[in-house]
Amino acid sequence: MKTFAKWTAAAAVALGTASAVYAEGHGASMNVPNLSYRTGPFAATGIPIMNGQADYFAMLNARDGGIGGAMIDYEECETGYSTEKGVECYEATKADAIVTQPWSTGITLQVLPKTNVDEMPLLAPGYGFSPMADGEVFQWAFNMPGSYWDAASMILQEISGGDLSSLSGQKIVLLHLDHPYGKEPIPFYEAMAAEHGFEFLPIPVGLSEMQNQSAQWLQIRRERPDYVIMWGWGAMNAGALTEAIKTRYPMDQFIGVWWSGHNGDLEALGEDAAGYRAISYNAPNPDAPVLAAIREHVSDSQAGEGEMDWVFYQRGLVISMLLAEGITAAQAEYDTAVVSPQQLRWGLENINLTQERIDELGFTGMIAPFSTSCADHTGHSGGWMIRWDGSTFQVDSDHLMADQSAIAPLVEAAAAEYAEANAPWPTQECDG
Amino acid sequence: MLYRTSGQFKTTYKADQALFPVRQDAILLGFILILAWAVFPLMASEFTFQALLIPVLVYALAAMGLNILTGYAGQLSLGTAAFMGVGAYACYKLITIFPGMNIVVAILLSGVFSAGVGVLFGLPSLRIKGFYLAIATLAAQFFLVWTFEEWAWLYNYNASGAIQVPNVEMFGTMVAGPLATSTTQYYLVLAIVTVMTIVCINLTRGTQGRTWKATRDMDIAAELIGINLLKSKLTAFAVSSYIVGVAGALFVFMWRGAAEPNLFSISLSFRILFIAIIGGLGSILGNYLGAILIVALPVVLNTLPHTLGIEISSATVEHLNIMIVGALIVFFLIIEPHGLARLWALIREKLIIWPFPH
Repeated sequence: MKTFAKWTAAAAVALGTASAVYAEGHGASMNVPNLSYRTGPFAATGIPIMNGQADYFAMLNARDGGIGGAMIDYEECETGYSTEKGVECYEATKADAIVTQPWSTGITLQVLPKTNVDEMPLLAPGYGFSPMADGEVFQWAFNMPGSYWDAASMILQEISGGDLSSLSGQKIVLLHLDHPYGKEPIPFYEAMAAEHGFEFLPIPVGLSEMQNQSAQWLQIRRERPDYVIMWGWGAMNAGALTEAIKTRYPMDQFIGVWWSGHNGDLEALGEDAAGYRAISYNAPNPDAPVLAAIREHVSDSQAGEGEMDWVFYQRGLVISMLLAEGITAAQAEYDTAVVSPQQLRWGLENINLTQERIDELGFTGMIAPFSTSCADHTGHSGGWMIRWDGSTFQVDSDHLMADQSAIAPLVEAAAAEYAEANAPWPTQECDG
Repeated sequence: MLYRTSGQFKTTYKADQALFPVRQDAILLGFILILAWAVFPLMASEFTFQALLIPVLVYALAAMGLNILTGYAGQLSLGTAAFMGVGAYACYKLITIFPGMNIVVAILLSGVFSAGVGVLFGLPSLRIKGFYLAIATLAAQFFLVWTFEEWAWLYNYNASGAIQVPNVEMFGTMVAGPLATSTTQYYLVLAIVTVMTIVCINLTRGTQGRTWKATRDMDIAAELIGINLLKSKLTAFAVSSYIVGVAGALFVFMWRGAAEPNLFSISLSFRILFIAIIGGLGSILGNYLGAILIVALPVVLNTLPHTLGIEISSATVEHLNIMIVGALIVFFLIIEPHGLARLWALIREKLIIWPFPH
């Protein structure tokens, strides 16, 4: 009985101190948390990105002593891609953080309204809610350098050869994860299908059937679509590619979004998957100077053999670079080393990533120039089609740009709808 | 010593059948209530509210609903998460169709929808028992989640297929949505959970509870002594689904703020079933103990290395966490297969006769 009482007392004390101590600061550095997922069914795709994100800040700390004299305290909070854990992590990390990186569209949707109240910038590079592009409505959210609707538009442009009316009469299947993430492109494709006269058919893949998609591919075989576009993630990508090979679906008519272009998935399939394409806002460049810098300065990288050449690892670098650019912009504007979340929001809103700046940072060829503004929180850098050649991803197209004239009205309508559903929702006025 | 019952004489039947025949129980509960109503809210940080206090209460309520059905009436159910979903979606539709509706009314009403669906899926229980019934409720689980995904009217044709909690005001304060403070939400959850608990305790120790227990222990015998099995089983399904539905509405409106259909998947059902089993089937207290073990402990364990200044990566902590919690579940079930509530009952017995164990 005594031991039991002791244990209870110890547990109670631990419970009490845990929350109190957690809120304490970490000194003069800037805390940049990341809601990572190195466990669970999506870990295979998460790990290389998280490694890239971590390594870039580790490199900046080792080489430059942080950013503008302030060290970067990069910290991970494990979510396992679970929305519940994500919200817990957001609450646990927000006290002294200057930004939140929710990963997972589900977590983004949950955290988005909270960031508005907590005044915390939300950085979701290339994921999250597409209407977040509207900076007037979504003051605190950023999804540069491209939204899902950008990706959807670029894919259509590439397969239609730049003229969407040529798709008229064709049949396009969207094989998507049945999750908020997978449903993101549907409104855009439905609008485009109505406008340009192609047939659009979404085929959902439930979270529980990611690895067994025979039913979906049977339907694809019956429908004989001209193109299959995939919005997959984690185990779903490999599952879809395996089934596509099994049903002999032509690989050059199979295109994925940027989260479906993971080297790890394709390496297992090798030559069989040659010809598969994915849109990507970052191009793989094994000779980029930033990789050399990381090899030189980061001794404890978790990246495995060859992982640094992967598209996803390099995307992690790009994502951290975008955040670092936001911090740099805020530091210059407010003339301070340690920026606050409010100052970082200004910084992220005023990123001006020119080609000179990209070269200076060592990211030559990895990302296209873009800039953000008060009204435009996405920047729309465009991207490239990357093609799997049997052993690696190669850039396969010219630089593509999304058709903003088609996307902008949808963004505006969706953003207004969101603001209305969540009224009172604070918005900001942007001049010009 | 602390629990000495000598000197507490019962002179009437009423006193003997009171909620707390032993005075110390009432004192202990009063202490816990003061902690919950006054001390925690004053001390807690935003994180404590969001990751510990509110979820424990909501999960305990959901487990309590399941416990009525499985623990008291003996009907095994694997559809808890789906019934929670019915409550959550009903509440969402009520709030969006009637924006002026009081949120408490909406939450309590949404339980009615879930109770209706629960009774519908409880009908097979009249013919099948045990594991076979579990499979029938499993059908509810898959069918309802599929409905949440496919029936776009339920989520107001939202593009991402998720429901977002709007800002809801009650008597001049924000109680739901992003603008609501955690303290307000905590008090609202606490109030509903407290009332529900009192109702459950009284329901289970009265005639209705005895009817359920008789049905659970041996349904043929129960029928022979004049218990209407149809009524007994269906009321169990109705009451259980009502509580679970209210828990689901609280889950989304007072805690999560948004939900996608996958949230109400089978894994949530299992989680709640584990809380009920580890806490103790056929007990009310057990739901709270189980929720603390399954919901709160991993969160505390996650923050421990950071608090103690040990540098291990977040992913490793997560792996360790799963192992530790798993080991604890095995440990508790070995030392007391009837759950934590039974463990507490044994401790209490020992305390009453301590220090003279004979």
